[in-house]
Amino acid sequence: MMRQFNIPDADYMSPGHLACAGCGAAIAMKFALKALGRQTVVIIPAGCWAIIAGTYPYITLKVPILHTAFETSGATASGVRAALDMKGDRDTTVMAWAGDGGTFDIGFQSLSGAVERNDDFIYVCYDNEAYMNTGVQRSSATPYGTRTTTTPGKGWKKTRKKNIVEILAAHRIPYAATASIAFPEDMVKKFQRAKEIKGGTRFIHIFATCPTGWRTPTETSVKIARLAVQTNMFPLYEVEDGLKYTINCKGDRPVAEYLKLQGRFKHLTDNDIKNIQETADKDWNILLGKTRG
Amino acid sequence: MKQVMEGSHAVSEAVRLARVQVISAYPITPQTHIVESLSEFYAEGSMDARFLCVESEHSALAALIGASSCGVRTFTATSSHGLALMHELLHWTAAARLPIVMAEVNRALGPGWNIWTDQTDSLSQRDTGWIQLYCEDGQEVLDTIFQAFRLAEMVNLPAMVVMDAFYLSHTYEPVDVPDQKRVDRFLPPIEPRIELDVENPCALSQLSPPTMFMELRHNIQIAMEHVPRCFKLVEDEFAALFNRRYGQMEPVHCDDAEIIMVVTGTAASTCREVISDLRSGGEKVGLLKIKMFRPFPKELIRKFLAPAQKVAVVDRNFSFGTSGIFAQEIKASLCNLDAHPFVFSYIAGLGGRDVTVDLLKEIYWKTKENLTPTDESIWMGLREID
Amino acid sequence: MPKQQKSFMEVPLFIPRSKVSTEINKTGSWRFVSPMFEEKTAPCSAACPAGEDIGRIEMLTAQGLFKRAWEAILMENPFPSVCGRICFHPCENFCNRKEFDESIALHSLERFLGDIAIAEGLNQPLKNLPANGKKIAIAGAGPAGLSAAFFLTRLGYSCTIFEEKSEPGGILRWGIPSYRLPDDILKSEIKRILDSGVEIRCNTPVTKSFMEKEIGYYDAFFIGSGHSISIKMDVYGEDAASDGLKFLYNIRKGEITSINCTAAVIGGGNTAIDVSRSLIRLGANVILMYRRRRQDMPAFANEVEMALKEGVQLMELVSPIGLEKDGKNLLLTLQKMKIADTLSGGRPQVVPDSTKTETLRVGKIFAAVGAGPDKLWQIPCEDKDDNKILRLSHCIISIEKYPKIFAGDLTNHTKSAVDAIASGKQAAMALDILFNEGRDSIKERLSSCKVGDGPALSMEIYMNGKRKSRNSRIVYLKDINTDYFMPALRIIPLSLSPELCIKSFSQVEQTLTTDSAMKEASRCFNCGLCNNCDNCRLFCPEMAVISEDNNRRINFDYCKGCGICVVECPRSAMALKEE
Repeated sequence: MMRQFNIPDADYMSPGHLACAGCGAAIAMKFALKALGRQTVVIIPAGCWAIIAGTYPYITLKVPILHTAFETSGATASGVRAALDMKGDRDTTVMAWAGDGGTFDIGFQSLSGAVERNDDFIYVCYDNEAYMNTGVQRSSATPYGTRTTTTPGKGWKKTRKKNIVEILAAHRIPYAATASIAFPEDMVKKFQRAKEIKGGTRFIHIFATCPTGWRTPTETSVKIARLAVQTNMFPLYEVEDGLKYTINCKGDRPVAEYLKLQGRFKHLTDNDIKNIQETADKDWNILLGKTRG
Repeated sequence: MKQVMEGSHAVSEAVRLARVQVISAYPITPQTHIVESLSEFYAEGSMDARFLCVESEHSALAALIGASSCGVRTFTATSSHGLALMHELLHWTAAARLPIVMAEVNRALGPGWNIWTDQTDSLSQRDTGWIQLYCEDGQEVLDTIFQAFRLAEMVNLPAMVVMDAFYLSHTYEPVDVPDQKRVDRFLPPIEPRIELDVENPCALSQLSPPTMFMELRHNIQIAMEHVPRCFKLVEDEFAALFNRRYGQMEPVHCDDAEIIMVVTGTAASTCREVISDLRSGGEKVGLLKIKMFRPFPKELIRKFLAPAQKVAVVDRNFSFGTSGIFAQEIKASLCNLDAHPFVFSYIAGLGGRDVTVDLLKEIYWKTKENLTPTDESIWMGLREID
Repeated sequence: MPKQQKSFMEVPLFIPRSKVSTEINKTGSWRFVSPMFEEKTAPCSAACPAGEDIGRIEMLTAQGLFKRAWEAILMENPFPSVCGRICFHPCENFCNRKEFDESIALHSLERFLGDIAIAEGLNQPLKNLPANGKKIAIAGAGPAGLSAAFFLTRLGYSCTIFEEKSEPGGILRWGIPSYRLPDDILKSEIKRILDSGVEIRCNTPVTKSFMEKEIGYYDAFFIGSGHSISIKMDVYGEDAASDGLKFLYNIRKGEITSINCTAAVIGGGNTAIDVSRSLIRLGANVILMYRRRRQDMPAFANEVEMALKEGVQLMELVSPIGLEKDGKNLLLTLQKMKIADTLSGGRPQVVPDSTKTETLRVGKIFAAVGAGPDKLWQIPCEDKDDNKILRLSHCIISIEKYPKIFAGDLTNHTKSAVDAIASGKQAAMALDILFNEGRDSIKERLSSCKVGDGPALSMEIYMNGKRKSRNSRIVYLKDINTDYFMPALRIIPLSLSPELCIKSFSQVEQTLTTDSAMKEASRCFNCGLCNNCDNCRLFCPEMAVISEDNNRRINFDYCKGCGICVVECPRSAMALKEE
């Protein structure tokens, strides 16, 4: 066997789910559960995965799911953990699985509260950079330059993407990391690491391509997730205790290669792309600086 | 053992004895003493539970939804704006059929900011599917907490135990606190019907299409319809162990009353005195103290009120654009009877304004004097505003 | 609480709770394009005249499965150790990796595998078809004749080779010097062919009488006798020059020891280079003289480069016009040439550059301006075209009383060992088709065995092996997902320095070590072939790629046709087709 990537074989996800063809979030869950295994409880707030996971009476995962209200992932996960602890179960991993809306915006308070309490669970944000489930409306995770249904035409998004990992690093969260579906070994390693670090909150921010919302061909979902890392638009790194930074991959391609493949960026002029490149370079240098600090 | 304690502490003592496993709460006046004493129990180790200091009431209930879904006994407390903030999740808890118990301290909603007693907050949530039980004194509070757990776990509906701000929450009274062994006999460990289990994975609360949604909702109503029967069983067992019972409502001298006053909360205590006084003056008056508001006990309401000529409902709450809420519900229960009394609606005591003996008597005489009630509720003791 | 009371109070509970797997939902109905596993053709295998399945060979080598890799070579070419040393490896020029970083050292890997098989004494491993009773006479035990025998024996024919010299090998034995191809290596690979059931009669030239009488005993006659007759220079005093081919033959017989003088070699082909490099090793000071320019020389470019490195001096644009004896030496008069306007295509025209001449005094002159066939053969000439002649890319078939096939250097456009091997294979297939289906089926059947666009043919395809199902579409670099490959330098085998290598006839380049071979083979993209990297299964969002014993299949019940598998296949071994 000449496997390209060495990751666990078993799957805890069934086919027949309702994700769009080429959905990055579906691939993300597949990898996450490969790493975490059977003894996991998943909390899913409103978002794409609330639908993907199956309508009554169907379930697409082979682990228990608790669906919750949009903004409650952090608190619900805290409650589930508390209950399991009271039942004497310290082995089951609790994983909150929220989209960018449920993490960066409406769910932010709940997440911040849980992290400040340092409750013992893994919070995962699968980031497709807009409110995809309700029809591609912008979120604070939507990057500068994007057209969405609430930032259409000339009103394309002029504010930058919120940096969620930095915010949580400021909470001194024990472990926070970014991951991309194009780097399966890296993602699985991070989930396994997160699983082992018990006793506090762990956060993983996954780049999950959305061909439907980004107007990209379905077959390029993994390629785009790879380009995001290779162009430093979405660097792969880890932060321990909010202070120790480790970069996992250095990108060296121009952002134009990444932007030009996506319909949501089609309107950008060369000057806009230049601005985006400058910002990406600046942010990358700041990140590099943190690894030395 | 009889102890003198404030209503808040009656709640926390009951929660401790009920062996609640996960508590999650956010402070708001006048619930803070509940939360603080529970924190002390937790800190000193006299309570084997997890206490989550969440960052809002919404998160408090969210955390309990998570915990209760794992099949443990859960509790929270709130009031006023906190309850309002929980609103979305109050619907969620009931529809998810989780037996969460909450102590709800009746307090006015602002603006203007008002920390004193008013029932509008809990009654605004009457559509959410929670069992609502209103308490008159500290003993009732303590007892009702225990009963609420039994009842909620029997029917899989959440329950709120409601008490007046300050008049009950901060008033010291003698309360008979039972010992742990007795409580354990009344309230054994939870046997959950809903429990997340990796050995038996399933999804809870997922997308449900129109083809089964009505059945889901109807099932909640079916559970509500089981409540009166279950409540009686619970009270029977409680009475057997502790020799106390309250009933869904308590009629006082209603058999021969021509006028019945309907009062809830601490004002009911005041009203008992009023009834006593008036009766000694020859008035044919009675008091119906309502404890259970949800499910609304229509049959008993009809039974106790139908024989009277007039009913004077004292609401310490209001639904803008219509009337006092108890009055509304009582009218709805009586309207289809061939013969039913006139229902007079009075509004009193909002925002903590005192409901005195004199005020209640004034309500009585007003009721007696007028042949028929006005459509609009009568607001008692309103001052002139420039 | 008593159980009886509890059940009495059982309140019906209906909540949204899901337990049934979504597997019941066959999302395959969403699809409007379908992925499929479709292996395609690597450009190296199409460029190889023998059509070797190179991508597959390297895949096996990278995994350390050397025996299987070697067997894959033998399927198409019985001479890996030979070709690994002397082939001009067009495969490396077409290697997709060339544009990415550096082409794979395919010839070094072929040599490595061939040498392992020799070291382990492995016999011909492929099963022969049952004997069909037909007998084939083969003239010439060069690479064409030996290959024809090898392939025909596998197809069930009984072959007899007639070789005029004392040992088989043709140019491989008697022309190519041993620093390029050592004796023992060649002998091992020839022996393997003969041991597979081929009869050979050395010192037995084919005569006119044989062709008239004894040939009737055979069912067909394969003529691979090569170009053994040197072409005359047609200049005054020509007899003073030595024959280049004979010189090489004598060295191979062990009869020449040293030549200490200045030697002129006239010619520009591989023979001229072989003569030049051999002379250097024998101590001579060598001047190679060619009538055109270096880039026009028909000799393999790497051979020319090696010659120059070893100290051969090159005089371009000179043509001999006269040779004279001068005591012990020779006087050679050369006409300077110049490039006339180039005609469309082909080699540029050279014309004498007015009256510019030059005379040199040298010790010896060797002529190597070309060779041709013995007149005995009567090869059908270019223009003759009747329905008794069938012209294929690497052989000519003449059917009169019995089928006669001309092959090897007699018919090939490129005169190389690998083209001779290709012609032996093509002839074997053509004969087999002729006997089983008739003359009219030959071209069509051969066409179905093409590798890529041809002219290379595959015996595996002819014998209905797995390679038959491969798409003949060639994979280019743009079809490779280069994100999965890191640039890495080509591994160069150890070589003797030019100063050292001219001191003897030992091999210049060495064989790769096992580690180096595996490492270099790992650089191969395996264009168009599935190497079980499992990317398709890993990335499928629908869990619709199922793995069963090292194979994969698409579960079309669930495949939504997103196409991620096809894009993430690093080596274009999948395709997306419309439903």
